[in-house]
Amino acid sequence: MVDPRILTEQVEPPYASRGSASRLPAEIWDHLWPWSRNGFQRQRVVQAAGLALAAAASVAWILAAMGNMTPGAIIGWWFGWSVFEVAVRLGSKPYVKDGPWWGSRYRRASIMDMICYVGFKNLLIGAALFIVLKSMGLVQV
Amino acid sequence: MKPLSALRGIAMAALLAATTLLPAQVSAQSAYEANLPPEINTSPALCDYVPCKEVLPGATSFSERKGQPPYVEGYAEENGQRKLVGYVVLSTDVTDTPAYSGKPVITLIGLTPQGNFAGIKILKHSEPILLLGIPESALVKFNNQYLGKFVGANIEIGRSRPEEEIIGLDAISGATVTVIAQNQVMMMSGAAVGRQVGILEKTVRPQARFVDSGRKLDWATMVKEGVVQRLTVMPEQVGLERGKDPFIDLWYGYLNHPEVGRAIMGETGWRDLMARIKEGEHALFVIRTAGRESFKGSGFVRGGIYDRVQLRQGQDVFTFRDLDYYNLYGISAPGAPSFTESAIFIVRSSSFSGAFPWKFIFLGNRIDRETGARTFINFDREYWLPDAYIEGGRPEVKKPDAPWVRVWKTRALEIVLFSALLVAVAVVYAKRDELTRRSTRKNKWPVNAFKYSAWIISIGFVGFGLLAQPSITQVLTWFHSLLFKWEWELFLTDPFIFLFWIFIIVTVFVWGRGLFCGWLCPFGSLSELLYKVGGAIGLKRFQFALPMKWHNRLKWVKYAVFFGLLAVSMFSMGLAEKLAEVEPFKTTFLVGLFNRSWPYTLFAAGLLGLSIFMERPFCKYLCPLGASLAMPSTFRWFGLRRKQECDSCKACAVGCGSLAIDEKGRIDHRECMLCLDCMVLYTDDHACPPLAQERKRRTKDGLPLTPIGKDGYYIPIKPVAPAAPRA
Repeated sequence: MVDPRILTEQVEPPYASRGSASRLPAEIWDHLWPWSRNGFQRQRVVQAAGLALAAAASVAWILAAMGNMTPGAIIGWWFGWSVFEVAVRLGSKPYVKDGPWWGSRYRRASIMDMICYVGFKNLLIGAALFIVLKSMGLVQV
Repeated sequence: MKPLSALRGIAMAALLAATTLLPAQVSAQSAYEANLPPEINTSPALCDYVPCKEVLPGATSFSERKGQPPYVEGYAEENGQRKLVGYVVLSTDVTDTPAYSGKPVITLIGLTPQGNFAGIKILKHSEPILLLGIPESALVKFNNQYLGKFVGANIEIGRSRPEEEIIGLDAISGATVTVIAQNQVMMMSGAAVGRQVGILEKTVRPQARFVDSGRKLDWATMVKEGVVQRLTVMPEQVGLERGKDPFIDLWYGYLNHPEVGRAIMGETGWRDLMARIKEGEHALFVIRTAGRESFKGSGFVRGGIYDRVQLRQGQDVFTFRDLDYYNLYGISAPGAPSFTESAIFIVRSSSFSGAFPWKFIFLGNRIDRETGARTFINFDREYWLPDAYIEGGRPEVKKPDAPWVRVWKTRALEIVLFSALLVAVAVVYAKRDELTRRSTRKNKWPVNAFKYSAWIISIGFVGFGLLAQPSITQVLTWFHSLLFKWEWELFLTDPFIFLFWIFIIVTVFVWGRGLFCGWLCPFGSLSELLYKVGGAIGLKRFQFALPMKWHNRLKWVKYAVFFGLLAVSMFSMGLAEKLAEVEPFKTTFLVGLFNRSWPYTLFAAGLLGLSIFMERPFCKYLCPLGASLAMPSTFRWFGLRRKQECDSCKACAVGCGSLAIDEKGRIDHRECMLCLDCMVLYTDDHACPPLAQERKRRTKDGLPLTPIGKDGYYIPIKPVAPAAPRA
C-alpha cells in the first residue's frame, strides 16, 4: 500500500532513529561522503570510478587553492563531479530528507530528487569554497 | 479539444520562442557592446574617431583633446574666421559610472559655449534591457530631454520641483537604474567641461587650519593614523598574469600639514617647500615602493601632463604639469620604506582644501586577456586628515547618495506597499488552515478572495505598475555574480526585485515554489486569471488539460530550458539573455505587447491565448524560472496534507489544475502551485469521500460530529469511563 503522505516510500538511514545530537554529525557526514559499504557491494565499478573522480576533484580544488585554476575549470569540475555524485548516491545512499531540515523523515530518492539534492548541496559547498578561495586571493576572476 | 491539438499548440509556442532570436540578431547592430576604436580613449584627435559633428551641430572642425578631464572645442567657419561653437566631451574621460550592467554607457556629449546641452550620442552600452526589452530609441528619447538645458541646472529623474529649482526628467519604465546612472554621467561630464571653460564657477572650499602640537611622527604612526596612505595595484587588476609582486605600490600623503610635512621632509626641507608654494597651494608626496611601472607616466614630456596620477575632490579633478613637480630625495621619518620613484606634486587651485576628503587616483590600463583590448581603469583611495589634525575637527561633508539609495528614497511609498503585499500574502498563506476550513468544495471564496486579490494586485500593481517581474536572467546574474563579482549595489538598485527575491527564497524553503508561482508571479497570475475568466464566460467546454502521460513527459521541458540557459550563460551571458526571451515577461510587462516586433508579441499573446483554454501552460512546461525554483522546492519544510485514503480516492487529483497529484494521491511539490483546492476538500465533510462516509455513519448512528483534526479526520469519540462508585 502506497503512503500518499510522502512522495516516495519512507526509508530509514542507519542514523534515522538516533537523537538529534548524534544524528546531526551523521547527516553532515552523509552530505560530504556519498559512498557507502552497501553501495560498494552493489555497484563496484561506479563507486570505484567515483572515488577516483573524487580524488581528481580534490586535486582540482587543491590546484585552485594554489591559484592554478581558472573559474571556468573549477565550474567544469564542479559540474562533472555533481553528475557523477548523482549516480554514486543513487546506488549508495538513495534517500533524501522530507520535510523540515531539522526533522528525521527520509524517503527514497528518485533521480530528480537526487539531482535536486546534489545540485543544491554542491552549489552551496562550491559557492562557499569559491568565496573562501576568492577572499584569499587564490582564484583569479 | 483533443490533447493532440493542444500539443500542437505547445509545439508552436516553443517554435515561436525560437523565432524570437531572429530579430535579436538584427538589433545587435545597435550601440549594444559596439566595437569602438581603442584610439577614442587615447588619441588627442578624439573627433577623428567619434562623430563629434552629430553632437555639436554647425561645427566643422575640432581641436585636439585639451584640459583635464579632456574635452575638445568645436569651431565653425564664419567669414573666413574660426568661431567657437561649443565643446564636446566623451563621458568616459570624466567618469566611468556604471549603469545596470556594471559597465558605463559611453556617451558623446556636445555643449554650446553658453553651457547648454547641444547633442548627445550613445556610442556604446551593455544594458541587457536595451538589447531586447526596451528599444534603444527610448534611451535616445531620454537623452533628448537634456537638449537646451544648462549644465549647471539641478536636473534629476522624476517630477520637476520648481520651488526647489529642480528640473525633472521622465525616466524609462523598466530601466530606472540605467537612467539614474546616465543622469549622473551627463551632469558630471557637463560640469567637468563647464568648470574648465568658465561656464560654471569654480568650487571654493574653506582652507584647513592645522593643529600643530609639535609631535615628531615616525612612519608607522603616520600610517596608523591615516596621514600616509597606500595604494597597491596587483597585476591581475590590470589584466596581467597574477603574481606576488604588485604592479605598482604607492604611498602618498599631504605635506601642508606641519607635522606630516616635517616628518617626511625634515624641518628645513618642509620650510623650504612651504616657502616655494603660494598661499592656497597644496603639496603632496608620492613614492613607489614596489613595481616597475612609473607613476609619472611613460608619455610625460617636458611641458606635458603627468597622465598617471591625479586628485579628485568632490567633482573637481586636479592634474599636474611639469611646473607642479618637485623632487623628493628622501624621507626623514624613521621607519620609512625604501622607494624607487618619488615626487612632490603641487595643487595650484583654491578649489582644493586639505580639510575635506580627496582621492588619490592612479590611472591605469586594463588589458582584456581574451581580446587584447585596452580599457582605462582608475584605482583610487580616499585621503582625509583625521579630526585631531584639523582645528575644530573634520568639517561636515554631505556626500551624494549612491544611485541605489536614491532609488529607495524616491520610491519609498511603493516599496512600503510592496513589502506590505508580500508580508500579507505570507501571513494569509500561513493561516491557510483557517481559510480552508471555512471553505467548501462549492464555496472556496474564503481562500479565493485572498488568492484572486493577490493575482489582481500582482498583475496590476506589481507587474504593470512596478515592472517587478522576477526572471530567470536574475538567477543567471546571481550565479555569475557569486562566481565573478558580487556587488550588492547591482541588486539593490531594483528594490522591488530585491525584495521579491528575499520573499521567494524564504517561501520556497518554507512552503515550496507554489506561493510565488501560484499567488504572486505577475505572469502566472495573469495566465491563470485568463483561464478562470475564460471558464466564467462560457468557454469551459473548450478548456482542457493534457493527459497525465503527456504532462509527465512535457513537465521536464522547463528543466531542460533552465539547464540550457545556465550552460549557455557560462559561455555567453549576452546569448543567454537573448535566449531568456523564452520568458514572455518583458513583452508582457516591461515593454508592452504592442511595443515590440511581431514575433515577440505573437509568442506572448499565443501563450496568453492558450492560457484561456489550458491552465498555466507556460508555468507547467516552459518556465525556466519555475524550474529553478522547483528544484529547491524538493526540500520545502512544510507540504500539504494527505490521508491514507488518498491513495485510491481521486477526488483531489481530478480537481488539481496543476496536475501535481499522481495516481497514488501523492503531491509533487515541484509542480504544485499551492492553490489549496485539495486542502479545501481535505476538511470538507461533504466532499472528501472518507470524511463524508464517516459523517454519514455518525449521523446514522446518532453520534456527534466532532471537529476535524489536523489529520483530516473527525476527532475520535472516546467514551469517558464511568466514575467509580464512592465507597
